[in-house]
Amino acid sequence: MKMKRLIAFLLSLVMVLAFAACGSKDDAKPSDNAAGGDSDLSGQTILIGNITPMTGAQAAYGTAITNSIQMAIDEINEAGGILGATVELSSKDDQGTPAEAVSGFNALLSEDVTAIIGACLSSCTSAITSLADDEGVVLITPSSTADSITTEDDYVFRSCFKDSFQGEMVAAYAAEQGWTKAAILYATGDTYSSGLRDSFEKAADQYDIEIVCEQSTSDTGAVDFSSQLATIAASGADVLFAPYYYDAVGPKIIPQAREAGFTGAIMGCDGFDGTQDYTTGDLSAYENVFFTNHYSPEDPSETVQHYVTAYTDKYGSESLNALGALAYDAMYMLKQAIETAGSIDHDAIRDATSGMHYVGVTGDMTLDESGTPEKSVAIMSFAQADGKLVQKFVTTQG
Amino acid sequence: MTEFLQQLIIGLRLGSVYALVALGYTMVYGIIRLINFAHGDFIMVGGYTLYFTIPILLHQIGLPAWVGVLAAIVICALVGVAVELVAYRPVRKKGTSMSALITAIAMSLLLENLAQAIPAMGPNPRVISEEIFSTAPISIGGVSTNLASIMTILIAAVVMAALQLFVQKTKLGRAMRAVSENKEASTLVGINVNRTIVTTFAIGSGLAAVAALMYCAQYHTVTTTMGSMLGLKAFVAAVLGGIGLIPGAMLGGIVVGIIEALVTAYISSSLANAVVFLVLIVVLLVKPAGILGKNVGEKV
Repeated sequence: MKMKRLIAFLLSLVMVLAFAACGSKDDAKPSDNAAGGDSDLSGQTILIGNITPMTGAQAAYGTAITNSIQMAIDEINEAGGILGATVELSSKDDQGTPAEAVSGFNALLSEDVTAIIGACLSSCTSAITSLADDEGVVLITPSSTADSITTEDDYVFRSCFKDSFQGEMVAAYAAEQGWTKAAILYATGDTYSSGLRDSFEKAADQYDIEIVCEQSTSDTGAVDFSSQLATIAASGADVLFAPYYYDAVGPKIIPQAREAGFTGAIMGCDGFDGTQDYTTGDLSAYENVFFTNHYSPEDPSETVQHYVTAYTDKYGSESLNALGALAYDAMYMLKQAIETAGSIDHDAIRDATSGMHYVGVTGDMTLDESGTPEKSVAIMSFAQADGKLVQKFVTTQG
Repeated sequence: MTEFLQQLIIGLRLGSVYALVALGYTMVYGIIRLINFAHGDFIMVGGYTLYFTIPILLHQIGLPAWVGVLAAIVICALVGVAVELVAYRPVRKKGTSMSALITAIAMSLLLENLAQAIPAMGPNPRVISEEIFSTAPISIGGVSTNLASIMTILIAAVVMAALQLFVQKTKLGRAMRAVSENKEASTLVGINVNRTIVTTFAIGSGLAAVAALMYCAQYHTVTTTMGSMLGLKAFVAAVLGGIGLIPGAMLGGIVVGIIEALVTAYISSSLANAVVFLVLIVVLLVKPAGILGKNVGEKV
């Protein structure tokens, strides 16, 4: 009896919370700030929205993204703005959850934003892509790599590559290294993780890599991977593909894999970026770890070095990561699109973004018909320096 | 066979932590019939205490990292007692068991959100980069484990044995058993009921601190919500073994841990939690009082 009452109570609690999450939808209204084809916008303000996880497990991404967009905006305003208009930023925290991303999106709509940069995580972005299409607002995600994010004829674009490409590059690198037996550990309930697993599996077949063991957790927030890793260690795989985020990779997956006796290479994707700040115990565990990333801060090219120096001067080197560079590029892509369109009309910006060619920190890119850039990936690894873990550039792939 | 043993060791380690946390639920439930939902968050309090004390202990005082658990026990016990005095006791005096239960959920949310609001703790995960027990692999007859796992199982066994002795042999332990059986009659024989309840809270919360040490030794991260899933599973363990019974919590914890490891290894890794909860439902259908529980008729 007591148990029944308890369950009834918990259910009603869930319902109340669900309603609370819907609440902010009501104050959303379609924005119309069409300015026509006027190519001089002096005196006007262009408001750019931004949705990222500024708190929560992936907060390091949000910090880098928000800082980088702000930095790009400051640079643009100093150089005279976009077509004379001053650019302003409005940032919303999605805490890494799709529900909060939706509320952030609606809040930005009610502020009449010109375009939105975000969200960060694929799971959050997929929650708002249909909203962006319905409302007709250009959405550029700096970092959501899931294949399903962009489709033809929509308002959604990105400055990063997509997972099927990322997974393929991991498989290509593994094949080059002569690793032929792979194990996979992934989160079934996460768009990013399961998407990467699909693309890696597909590419592995192409490159003659045999998948000897596949293990999973229900989400990326799991803490104990030791059962899964013990099975993987016993499977005789010489490479483990584990598409998770740094907060699970650094303190849990890598140390637990080494504890389970797995000595092979551990590979991941851009989610590994940031692992160097989440290490524990013996740093030699982090050797023989490789991941794909959007760019290398060590790249000597002028654009990359300008970004790295400017960012470090302003915010320090601690929060610098690839997602920041992508967000910086996303902001400049918007600038280029608005300048081409000559207006801040939503549809004009969309048409100008579609198929654009852009050269930025994360490379030379052309958007394909779905809105995803074609570019190369950097393969990175970790090395020890002065008792700390640092990223090391290995090679460029693709 | 080696693989089976390997998974059994992992299950035993997971189960030891569940058992320690389940003890906290079961002791409080046994004495005041309250499911203390804030118990999982006491683990979080312990975790952050370790996060703050370990660097000081290691680098400034020169003591081993695990000594931090003493500070964690003290802080957790204080928080546990404070929660009982400030929230539970006044509500228990005035309200029903339902309002006490809601207070417990409120306490849990309060502790989590309070921790997020404190800048030094905050919403981002914190990593304890120092090792509490070495996690370097040790191989025993083909089974790979490490000092942290061995210590987890050993400490849990010692703590549980000590607790059982305490409850069975000491005067205070006898008082606790008496209060859990009948509060009014205990008062009649001269037991200070309130003091006994406070002691129970202190011990239960202290156990949460020990669980926090094991959690941190294994996973190295502390977050403000680290206790919620762990607390939920431990609660399942307590109900499974028979809530209110100390041996039940130990058995329930170990059973849940081993089921989790074996399901992960032999059925499907994403089904582990589902099977744990399924087993709970089956056990409750067959034996509503839990594995070790006795079905007692309602006292009138």
